[in-house]
Amino acid sequence: MLARVTQSKTIHWLGRQLSNQDNPESWLDPVLAKINPMWVQAYTPARVEQVIQETADTRTFVLRPARRWTGFRAGQHVNICTEIDGVRRNRTFSLSSSPLLWETQGLVTLTIKRLPGGLVTNWLHDRVVPGQVIGLGEAFGEFLIPEPAQPVLFIAGGSGITPVVSQLETMAAQDYPAPVTLLYFVRTHRDVIAGEKLRALASRHSTLTVQVIATNESEEPRFLRGEDLDGIANLKSREVYLCGPKGLMDLAGDLLHQRGVTDDRIHSTFFAPPAPAQLEGTELGGQVTFANSDVQVGSKGDANLLEIAEAAGLTPQYGCRMGICHQCSCRKTSGTVINRLTGQVSGAGEENVQLCISVPRGPVSVDV
Amino acid sequence: MKKLNETQLQELEQDLNAIRDEVLADLGERDARYIRRIIRLHRTLEIGGRVMMPFGFIPPVFLAATASLGVAKILENMEIGHNVMHGQYDWMNDPNLHSQTYEWDTVCTADSWRRTHNYEHHTYTNVIGKDRDYGYAVLRLSDEDEWKPWHSLQFINYILLSVLFQWGVGLHELESEKLRRREIRWRDKLPFLKDFARKGGRQAFKDYVFFPLLTLPVAPIVLAGNIGANLIRNLWSSTVIFCGHFTQDAETFSEAECEGESKGHWYLRQLTGSSNFTGGRWLHILSGHLSYQVEHHVFPDLPAHRYPEISEKVQAVCLKHGIPYNTGSFARQYGTVLNQIFRYSLPDRVRTRLEGRSAPQAI
Repeated sequence: MLARVTQSKTIHWLGRQLSNQDNPESWLDPVLAKINPMWVQAYTPARVEQVIQETADTRTFVLRPARRWTGFRAGQHVNICTEIDGVRRNRTFSLSSSPLLWETQGLVTLTIKRLPGGLVTNWLHDRVVPGQVIGLGEAFGEFLIPEPAQPVLFIAGGSGITPVVSQLETMAAQDYPAPVTLLYFVRTHRDVIAGEKLRALASRHSTLTVQVIATNESEEPRFLRGEDLDGIANLKSREVYLCGPKGLMDLAGDLLHQRGVTDDRIHSTFFAPPAPAQLEGTELGGQVTFANSDVQVGSKGDANLLEIAEAAGLTPQYGCRMGICHQCSCRKTSGTVINRLTGQVSGAGEENVQLCISVPRGPVSVDV
Repeated sequence: MKKLNETQLQELEQDLNAIRDEVLADLGERDARYIRRIIRLHRTLEIGGRVMMPFGFIPPVFLAATASLGVAKILENMEIGHNVMHGQYDWMNDPNLHSQTYEWDTVCTADSWRRTHNYEHHTYTNVIGKDRDYGYAVLRLSDEDEWKPWHSLQFINYILLSVLFQWGVGLHELESEKLRRREIRWRDKLPFLKDFARKGGRQAFKDYVFFPLLTLPVAPIVLAGNIGANLIRNLWSSTVIFCGHFTQDAETFSEAECEGESKGHWYLRQLTGSSNFTGGRWLHILSGHLSYQVEHHVFPDLPAHRYPEISEKVQAVCLKHGIPYNTGSFARQYGTVLNQIFRYSLPDRVRTRLEGRSAPQAI
């Protein structure tokens, strides 16, 4: 997923014959990384140009990816790859800059909040300084500005504002021809991310309305209310974008449904593992065979294949551990698994599954 | 094998687990830096060898190119491939250093090797009849193997096996001895043979077709150099492996002995079935640290460059439990291997008489 696809099939084939590696383009990486970390091929290297303190616990990292990076669309996210104490860690973050910045200056930004106990976010905050190089994957995600233009409502909470900032800047740059409203929930006004940028955009573009709401500055917590939505013109004809903590997203979903906004108009993206789909507890688990390692273990309950493998002392490859990055994809040769995110039941035959979100239902055999 | 009672075996298990846990807790930056440095060295030597080879019409350049490529292959097979495929660097979560996906620069496919070596050999180490690595079904090295007339020529077999070592390892899973005895059918081995043909073809293509053709006017020189590099690697790796298990003092075991064994018993078997040899730092690196075969067999998935530091602790455990720790100079250990191959090529009657007569001088 992080690897760049080589254009020519013949060259790729030849590379595989000569290097014995599935991704021959990274055969020289350990050498290249030493000479110039920007030459690494396994992922797109990106040099940290600048680190900006947004709030007490949020920083924006301005990155200059190698020119071969293929760019992104506003609202998309990206896997980043860092090595911490010798261990490669992949995490997914939204791009907070507009694609315009990449096209004109070759820069992108990630705005990242420090998570309590978070390994990667804390490392980024504490250890990353300008000049360092981190890895980027290609951008992905369907949290995109509607085309053709339609009235839009954004409801963002906390660091969920980051993809929205990218979208608002993009819309502003193209003089988006429809009204846009942002309801931005923060704990206190000190926690506002990109506040100045948002104010500037709102003052320059009359079609953009920004409303910042602090949830924890009064006696009673002040969450999203019905009247916040009732004040928005033509709510039912708007495309709604939700991004933030689960509580906010659930509440917004309910209030919108009550007002007749249909699901096909509601788009959401997430930063933390989404709430697992309700899985029926009694029929979960089973005998798992890790064929390549010749290991068999029984599992009970909703443990996923990655957890089961690790508990059995195996070390399969993994990335985000929440079903986004596909680093842990592998071949299931028999048995049925349930997708933890969607609750969907797989077929019984051979197929690729993501270990980190696949829960066995009955005996399962995988190539690990 | 030295006999320990269940309590002693349990204590042995705990002692060794403690060493393992200590190393696991300490894995990090240092190990990542080490393996990447070795990879850099490998890439440099391989590229250097390939670039120099067409100029091999100058004799010293030919020697340098062949040596460079040969050493590159040794490093890749032993310190990188073998160790990565044991899962020693899986914790790094680097897709290029992962045991399940790594493919090495030799004829044996990684999948086949994971089955025959990682699983079979490391589970049933030196159990005659179960560990097919013991003598590679070609050599007779223990009393439990009945003498047959063709064993008298096994020194020739040994030389052939060493010269063609990568092909021998590649075909190991064919279980030719079972095919001969008609215990299995050729048809069962078709999927394996298909994989073997693909990987063998790829390796042959690279060294014997692609690079010679690429350098057409000097193709014969490049071909000869590549054959030489493969030969260097074959001879060296077979020698290292033979010194790890077929020395005079490396013990063998019967299937009955190992029936339903405990982890402690497995540890004991690994300790007494393997043998080390001593030498300088580069001797260890070039042997993929299989010069610490004892440590490797006890902890096959700990990064091999840690074996020298683990070794002292393992020796202390051996001393505590009165378990022999088989080590010696490279020359001495290899000498006993050659001696073993020769001795067991003789009919038992002749051998015992010979040994009886020379008993006072025997090592």
